[in-house]
Amino acid sequence: MLLQQLVNGLTLGAVYTLVALSFSLVMGILSVLNIAIGELFMLGGFIGFAVIASNLPLPVALVFAMAGAAIASFIIQKVAYEPLRDAPLITPMLSTLGFSIILQNIVTNVWGSDPLQLPAELFDADFTVGPVRIGVMQVVVVGVTVVLVGAVAYLVQRTSAGRALRAIAENRDVARMLGVSVSRTTFLAFAISGLLAGAAGVLISLHYAAITPYIGVDIGLKAIAVMVIGGTTRVWGALLAGPLIGVAEVMTIAYGGSQIRDFIVYGLMILILLLRPQGLLGGARSDVGQRV
Amino acid sequence: MLEIRKFLIGGLLTAALVSGAQAQNQVNIGAIVPSSGPFAEWGRTNTVTLKMLEKQVNDAGGVNGAKLNIIILDDAAKPAQAANNMRKLAGDDKVLAVAGPLTSSACEVTFPIANELKTVATSQASSKPGVAKANRPWAFRNTVDEGILANTSVPYFNKTFGAKSVAIIYDAKDAVSTSIATRIMPAAFTSAGVKVLNGDSPISFNTGDLDVSAQVTKLKSLNPDGIVIGADYSQAVTVLREMKRQGLMKPVIGGTPLISSAILKAAPEIPVIAPATFYATMSTPKAKKFVADLQPLLRSASGLPKDIEPSMYDANIYEIVNMYVDAAKKSGITGKPGDLEADRTKIRDYMANLKGYDGFSGPIHFGEDGDAIKNFFIVEGKNGAWETKVTGCSAAGGGC
Amino acid sequence: MMSTYYAGLFADIGILFLGAMSVYIILATGQLSLGNAGFMGIGAYVASFLTVEMHLPLTAALVASALVAAVIGVIVGFPALRLKGIYLAIATLGFGEVVRSFLLNFDRMGGAGGFHGMKHVSLEYIWTWAGLIFLLIVMLERSRLWLEMRAVHDDETAANLVGLNTTMTKVGAFGSGAAVAAISGGLFAHHYVYIEPGNFGFERSIDFVLAVILGGSTVGAGAAVGAALLVLLPEWLRFLADWRLAAFGVLLVLVLLTRRQGILDRPLLDKLRFRRARS
Repeated sequence: MLLQQLVNGLTLGAVYTLVALSFSLVMGILSVLNIAIGELFMLGGFIGFAVIASNLPLPVALVFAMAGAAIASFIIQKVAYEPLRDAPLITPMLSTLGFSIILQNIVTNVWGSDPLQLPAELFDADFTVGPVRIGVMQVVVVGVTVVLVGAVAYLVQRTSAGRALRAIAENRDVARMLGVSVSRTTFLAFAISGLLAGAAGVLISLHYAAITPYIGVDIGLKAIAVMVIGGTTRVWGALLAGPLIGVAEVMTIAYGGSQIRDFIVYGLMILILLLRPQGLLGGARSDVGQRV
Repeated sequence: MLEIRKFLIGGLLTAALVSGAQAQNQVNIGAIVPSSGPFAEWGRTNTVTLKMLEKQVNDAGGVNGAKLNIIILDDAAKPAQAANNMRKLAGDDKVLAVAGPLTSSACEVTFPIANELKTVATSQASSKPGVAKANRPWAFRNTVDEGILANTSVPYFNKTFGAKSVAIIYDAKDAVSTSIATRIMPAAFTSAGVKVLNGDSPISFNTGDLDVSAQVTKLKSLNPDGIVIGADYSQAVTVLREMKRQGLMKPVIGGTPLISSAILKAAPEIPVIAPATFYATMSTPKAKKFVADLQPLLRSASGLPKDIEPSMYDANIYEIVNMYVDAAKKSGITGKPGDLEADRTKIRDYMANLKGYDGFSGPIHFGEDGDAIKNFFIVEGKNGAWETKVTGCSAAGGGC
Repeated sequence: MMSTYYAGLFADIGILFLGAMSVYIILATGQLSLGNAGFMGIGAYVASFLTVEMHLPLTAALVASALVAAVIGVIVGFPALRLKGIYLAIATLGFGEVVRSFLLNFDRMGGAGGFHGMKHVSLEYIWTWAGLIFLLIVMLERSRLWLEMRAVHDDETAANLVGLNTTMTKVGAFGSGAAVAAISGGLFAHHYVYIEPGNFGFERSIDFVLAVILGGSTVGAGAAVGAALLVLLPEWLRFLADWRLAAFGVLLVLVLLTRRQGILDRPLLDKLRFRRARS
C-alpha cells in the first residue's frame, strides 16, 4: 500500500507543482497574488473536456486548454493588473478575485454546476508494476509536469526573456533603466502563468475525469502553500514542494487520519514562512515581500 | 458622488419595482432555491419546475379565483442569503408560505426566521437529522430522516451483496454526510451484525477535493465487502471514478444525497444503493406525467445542460407548493392582504394535519418533528439506471 | 418602520462592518491579514459556548471572547513580525485555514454538524457594538498612537530609527484586530443562532478585506461603505438572475479600477463636510 500511496502522492504533487508554478511566476516576479489562477486551472479543465468530447486527441486538448487559459490570463493582466500596477498590492489582488467570480459564473452558465464527466473508457488504461497499479494518465500527468517545469526553468534561467523576468523580479526600476521592456515581460509572466494553469487543469480533469466549476478554489489555496514552501523565486522549488506536499497529504490520510490533512499542509506552510521565508530552495533574500 | 447616488437610487428603484409588482387579487407563495453557486443546477431546475406549476395552476383557474404568483429567490447556497430571502418573502412580499431552502446549512438559519415571522417554510432537500424538529411549529421538510432510510437500505444491502464487512468514506466538511457516515450507517450496520472495518476512524475528504486517490487506496487495503459513501452526489462521483480507476469494484451504499443522474454515469459497473422518493425513470403514472411535462422545459431552459432530467428535489418542491395551493383552496384563502396572518396559520395547520396527500411516492403527511412521512424506495443504480428494489415507509410503525 | 428584510441586511452590514474594521486596524500598520475569519470563528464559538453552556449574558460573553481572540491575535502577531507584505498575508491565510480545520474536528462544539442554542439579538444591539468600535477607531485616528501606526505603515525602518516601538504597535494592532473580529463573530453567531465551521473560511476573510478596500482603506468610515456595498449589491443585482454573481465581479473590478483608493477617502470626506457646512 505504501508504494501505491507514493504514486498517488506524486500525481497529486504534480498538479500542485504546476499550479504553484503558475502562482509563483506572477507572484515571484510582480509580487501580485493572482487569485484567479485557481479559475484559470478550472477553465483549462473545461476547455480540455470540451475538446475531448468532440473526439479530438489529448495533445489538441492540451494546446486548446493552455491557449484558452493563457488568453484569460492575458485579459486579467490587461484589465485587472496593468491599470493597478502602482496601487498597493491588495488592490490588484482583489481585482483578480473579481475575475475569479466572473469565471466561475460563466463556466456554471455554460457547462452547468453538476460534475462534467468523461465517458468511462477514455484514459482509463493502466498497468501494474509489482503490487502497484499505475494509470497511464498518471504517467502523462507526471511526465508533462516535469517537461513543463524543465521548459520554464530553461526559459527563466537561460534565455534573454528569462533574464528580463529575473531582472524585474529583483528590482523593477533598475531593470527598466537597464532597458528591460516591462510591459513585454509582464505579459510573458502572465502568459506562462496561464499556460501552466491551463495545462494543469486539462491534465487533472482528464485524469480524475469529473470536474465542476468550483474545483479551482481549494487547489488554488493549496497551491499557494506549495509555492511558499518551494520558494517563490525558484522555479525548481515548486517541483520539490509539490510532491513533498502531495506525499505528506497522502501519508496523513494513509497513516494519521484524513481529518488533520489540511492542518498539516497549512501548518507546514506557516512553519516554512517563519523559519525559511525564502522557501526551501530560495536564495538568501532575508527581506522578502514589499509593503502592502 | 453623483454617479454613486444615481447608482444607489437605481438599485432602490429596482428593488421597489420588483417587490411592488403584485396585483391585488393574488396568492403569493415564495421559494428559496440556489440558482447560482455550487448547486446552481438544482436551483435552476427547481425554478423551471415552479414556473411550470404556476402556469398549470393558473391555467386551471388559479386559487379560489385569485392568481397564483410564485416568487422565486436565489440564495446561491449561502445560508446568510437564504435567511435574508426568507425575510424578504415573508416581510416585503407578503407570501403565504415558503418552499425551501435547499441545503441543510441554509435551513439551520432560515427556519428560526420562519418561526419568528410565523410563516411556513418547507425544505425540498435538507436531510440533516433534527433540523426541522429544532424549529417547530413553522418548519417542515418534505424529506425523510436519513436514519429511518438507513434502517431499510442497510438490510437490503447486506442481503443482496452478502456483505460481512463495510468500510466508510465521507465528506468531512459536509454536515449531512458526516452524520450519515459517522453515526447513522455505523449504527445500522453494527446492529445488522455487519462489521464496520473503520468505524473508529472513518476515512474522510473535503468538499471540493478533486483527488481522493489516497483515501480510496486506503479503503481498498481494508478489503471490505461494501463501501459506505457519505457525500453528496457531486463528490461521490469523484469517489466512484477513483474506485473504478483503482479497481475497487465493490457495491456502494449511501444516503439520499447520492441520488442524481450524474452518479449513474460515474462508474456504471459499480452498483449503488441509495434511498429515494423520486427518480426520473420511475414508473408510476403520476411521476411519468411529471417527467413528460417537465423534461422538455428543463432541456430548453438556458443555463442547463441539454441532457438534464428532473431531480428528486424538483419533485419535492413541486409537491410542497402543490400542498400550499391545496391548503389555500381548501381553507378559502383568496390572497386578501388583511387576512395574511390568519391565512399563514391556516397553511401551517393544514400542513400539520395533512392526511394522505397524493405525492409521487404515494400518500404524504408530516410527523411531529416536521419531517415528511411518506413512502420511499431503496433503489439500485447500475448500468446507467435506477431501479426500485424495496419500498418502505418512514412512519414509525411502518405503513403510510 | 424598516422592513424585516432590510433589518436582516443591516444586521449583515453591521457584522461585516465590524469584520472590516478588524482588518482596517491591522492594515493601518501596513500588515494585511487574510485570516481574520479565523479570529471571527474563535469569537463566534467562544461567545456561543459561554452563552449557551455557561449561561453568561451576551455582552459578557462577547467581551470574554474578544479577550481570548486578542490573546491569540498577539500570539499570532509576534511571529508575524518576521514577515512582510504578501508573505504575511499568505501566513495569515494559512492561520485561517488551520482554525477552520480545527473547528471542523472540534466535536465538543458540534464539528461539521454546527452548533446552536444561541438567542437572537436585535439589530440595535449589533449596531451598538459596531458604533462603539467605530467610535474607538475615530478616536484612535485622532491620537498620537495613530500617527505611530501610520509611521510604521509608511516606513518601518524610519519609525524604528526615531525610537518608536514598532513591535508593540504591530503586535498590538493584531491583538485589537483579532478582538474586533471576535466580536463580529459573536454577533454573527447570535444573529443567525447557528454556526458551522464553513461560515469562517477564506471567503469570509476576503470579504473583510474587500469591504475595507472597496469602501476606502484610508478612513475608518470606508469600512462601513464597503460593508454596505458588499451586502446590498448582490441583492440589488437579483434582476440579472443567472448572471448576478458575474455582474458583481464586474462591478468589483470597475470600482477598483476607477477608485483604487476606495470609494471614501480624505478629500471626498472633506468635500462632503464642506458641503454640509455651507447648506
